[in-house]
Parts: sequence; structure tokens; C-alpha cells
Amino acid sequence: MKSIFGLSAVFYCLGIILLSLVRVNFWLIVTLGLVISAAACLSFSNNRIFMALILFLALLLGALSLKNSFAIPKCHISNFVAYNNKAVYALSGFIDSQPVAGHKRASFIFRVQEMQFDNLKWPCCGKVLVKVDFLRDFNYGQSLTLIGTPRRPPVFSPGSRSYRKYLSGQGIYLLMRIKNSLQIIPRESKGANKLILFSLRLRAKLEQVINNNLPDLPAAVLSAMVLGQKKAVPWLVTDHMVKSGSVHILVVSGFNVGIVAFIINLLLKVIRLPRKQRIILTIICLIIYCLVTGASNPVVRATVMGVVLLSAYLLKREADIYNCLAFAALFILMLNPRQIFDVGFQLSFSSVLAITCLYPKVKSFLRLDNCKIRILRFIYEGCLVSLCAWIGTVGIIAYNFRIFSPVTVLANILIVPLATLITLCGFSLVLCGLFFPFLGAVFSTTSAMLITLLLNITAVMVKIPGAYFYF
Amino acid sequence: MLNFTPEEKKVILFLLIIAFCGITLNNLAKLNYRVKKLFCPHLSLARIDLNKVSLDELITSRCLPEKTAALIVAYRQEHGNFKSLEGLKEVRGIGEQRYERLKGIFFIE
Repeated sequence: MKSIFGLSAVFYCLGIILLSLVRVNFWLIVTLGLVISAAACLSFSNNRIFMALILFLALLLGALSLKNSFAIPKCHISNFVAYNNKAVYALSGFIDSQPVAGHKRASFIFRVQEMQFDNLKWPCCGKVLVKVDFLRDFNYGQSLTLIGTPRRPPVFSPGSRSYRKYLSGQGIYLLMRIKNSLQIIPRESKGANKLILFSLRLRAKLEQVINNNLPDLPAAVLSAMVLGQKKAVPWLVTDHMVKSGSVHILVVSGFNVGIVAFIINLLLKVIRLPRKQRIILTIICLIIYCLVTGASNPVVRATVMGVVLLSAYLLKREADIYNCLAFAALFILMLNPRQIFDVGFQLSFSSVLAITCLYPKVKSFLRLDNCKIRILRFIYEGCLVSLCAWIGTVGIIAYNFRIFSPVTVLANILIVPLATLITLCGFSLVLCGLFFPFLGAVFSTTSAMLITLLLNITAVMVKIPGAYFYF
Repeated sequence: MLNFTPEEKKVILFLLIIAFCGITLNNLAKLNYRVKKLFCPHLSLARIDLNKVSLDELITSRCLPEKTAALIVAYRQEHGNFKSLEGLKEVRGIGEQRYERLKGIFFIE
């Protein structure tokens, strides 16, 4: 490991993992941390001891942050609802997520601000997953009073994969089912984050551009690739991509973030904005793009890395990829240490780490730079990146999804360049469609053609004998 | 004249190429309906044909439990091909909720 920052991130992660395995008292960790901090202060002169103490401190910090994430504030709603309680409460607050509408039902995360039981009212905090059994228009930030019985989520499958644990990882400890529209009373709107509200409106607008210009299936695939909205992607398409190991293209990743940064920078350059303002505006746009796509782990990772790289460029400092990656991991884990157990987090970081660590070494070992034919070298490099990413993620995929896909490397050689083209076309379509709707049709046909080709390739790949095995 | 970097020049070239391809394809599609297949993917790429899928394919696709897959195929053998997706509701073990999920997975040619 090149950097102390990267090493600290590794120790921070280790601290989280260790604490999930061993039960240790919170105050014991705090005391140990204070002792180590004091020792570190005293050992400034000895670099080796100082570094060792710093790393140990990072480990304790990881453990402490995980312990802290389990602590629930006194005013948390789950403290007021007893186990197997059937009492009816009135919860006032606002919708804290983009509502998901299904067939005759909807669900959203509700952030509670006030609770009422009989005539007794008191302020409280926390999130409740609300499931509504009828169709109604809900929006992010909408202030409501919900009347119903909050309950603990069911377990479904016991162990580490239980539904209750999954929800608690997101800070949700209660569910509420609304069966009647009389249980919902609208309130005066307050509490919504304006930036998130703007991002969601922008996302809706962009989705509209895609849907207006493309047939249903290509539109669903492009929405997933460019905006991270996978809800319209048919099950069979996702299934083919999972089996061929190419489902990562349906996730917004660092590549998309890089394209956004590049496009914004280019547009600002065209209007001759000075360099500093250009970088600051690009950073703001990256954050908005992160919110537009739903701020999932891979996007947050890529955005943080992008922001660090741009900041380094702004401060005229050299950026180190390992530092950027470590900073992104620490950023996500500081906000929610339980994300380390999320498969998306593990896949995102392991693939990037595998590419950054393995790719240059394998490339120099195979002496790819000696290859004189540019196209051939480009293909070799593409294969190598796919192979490195596959090596980095194969273990996690096999453990979590019980699938082993030898076809992954071959599929990715064909699919990744195609997905790159589709993403570029998709961004061109979205931007043109947004500002010049009449130009959308010019870019949409090429995008649709490439998506059709992509779907055909994945369908063929999974039909190859021995393409994948479930175990 | 704006000073573009080589990367920026590539972007402009790329945009022009995809616009060129788009217009050409649009024009060809207007003249020959078959060209439309190039950019309108067939439904079989997104859904499973309910009347053609075999039991083995249904089981390996893992879209529904083995028992339900067997019941669907048995129903098809007994009553002939499904006329519409609504017919799935007649199969034992498929209620309203499962039907809502399955109608996004299957199609009838």
C-alpha cells in the first residue's frame, strides 16, 4: 500500500469487521482510543511508533463508529413503540425518499418529526417504511400525518440476510401499512431538502426525454445505464446480464461520473469560464448527478473520487488513485459503517481496487505496450481490465449469489466497449433532448440500435454451454 | 477560434458520427420496414414466450418456483396454449400478487 491514508482506511474497515464479530463495551473502546491518542502525541519523534499508533487509532475509530451506528437516540420512534404493539399512533413528518409505485400499491420512507397517541403529542425522530395499499400520488418532501400502527419488520430469512437486518442497516426499524386513504392527512409542506427535490425533478425530466425518444425496452435499459433507474428493466434482461456477468453496466459507475465531469467541463470551456470556476461548477454538477442517480454506493464512490481528483487539480496537487479510493471508502463508512456489509459496496470497491492494483502489473508483465497495432492493443487492454475486475469480484459474487460465470470475461470484452458507446450516446441524447428536444431523434436511433445489439449479445452469451453455473 | 484539446475534438467527431448514423438509420427505416428491427428489439429479448417455454427452461430461469413452473406447463398441456396472460390466473398457485410479477416476465406471441 502506497499511502498512509489508504492504510488507515484498511484499518478503519478492519475495526468495523472486528467489532461485528466480537462484543466490546463502548467505553472500553473510548478509553483505549484516548490512551492511544495520548501515546501518539508523545511519540511524534519516532515515526514508526507514531504510524503504528495512528493505524491502531483508525481501527478503534472504525469499531467506535459501528458501535455508534447501533445507538438509537432517545427520541427515536422505535423507543416509543413496544414489541407486538397494536396501538394506533399519528405520525407527522415528511416523505424522505422517492416513492416507489407498484401495482395498486406504493411505498416510501417516512421521516417522523412528531408522534401522537390519544391527546399526547411529543417530538420524535427516525424513519418508518410506509407501505400504502392503494394508488395515490406521493412526492419526495411531501408533509403528511399518517395514522396507523407501526410494527417491527418481519425477519423472512433468519441470519445475516434477514429483511429486518437489511432495513436496520438503512436506519429503518419500523414498518407501517396504510390500507385506507383516510389514514393519510396532508400537512403544510416543510422539511424537504431543496437540492434533492431539484435532483429528483431533473431526473424525472431526463427520464421523460429518454422515454419520448426511444422504444420501451431501449428506454428502460438506457435509463438504468445513464440515470441508474432500473425499475423498468425487464426481469429477463437483468437475468441475462447477471448470468453473463455484465450486470455492472446497468449500474451508474465511475465511467458515467467521468463522462459527466468531462461534458460539463467542455461546455463551460466553450463559454470561456475561467479554470477555477469551471472546476467548482463541475464539482457541483457531479454532486447533483450523484443525487439524480439515487446516490447508490458505486455513484457515491465515483463522485467522491471525482471530487477529490478535481480538488487536487484545483489546488495544483498530484492526485493519488489509492488516496482517492480510500477517501471515498472512508466517506461512505463514516456516514454509515454498516455499508461495509453491503454487496454493492464490496463489489464497487473490490473491482476498482483490482483494476488499479492488478491491471498495471499484468500489463507490464505481458508487455502490451510493445504491441504496435493500436486497435489490437486497445482490445488487449479491454480484455485485461475485464479480467482484473472479474478476478476482484468473482469471490464476492460466488459467495453472495451462488453463481460462477466463466463467460464473464468473454462477454465483457464485447459488452463493455458497447456499453461505453451506449453511455456516450445516452448522454448525448439526454443533453440534446433536454435543451433542443427536436434534436433528440438524431441521437436516439443510434442509441436504440446499440442497445438492441447489446441485448442480443447477452442473450447469445448465456446460451453458450457452460456459460454459468449455480451452486 | 476555440482551442480544443485532442479529447474535445474526439467528442465533437463522435457526436457528428452518431448523428450521421442516426439520420441514416432513420431514413433507411422509412424506406424499409425491416431496418426497424435493428433498433426496436424483439420482445423475446425482454420476456419469455409463455407458450413456447419448456419446463427445463422455466426451472433454469429461476423466475418462479419449480412447483409453479410444473403447474404452468401441465396446465398448457391440458388446456392448450394460453390465449392471454390473464390465463395464468387459472393456474393453481398463481394469485393476484404473483400474476402481477409474472406478467412482466412472460409474453404471448
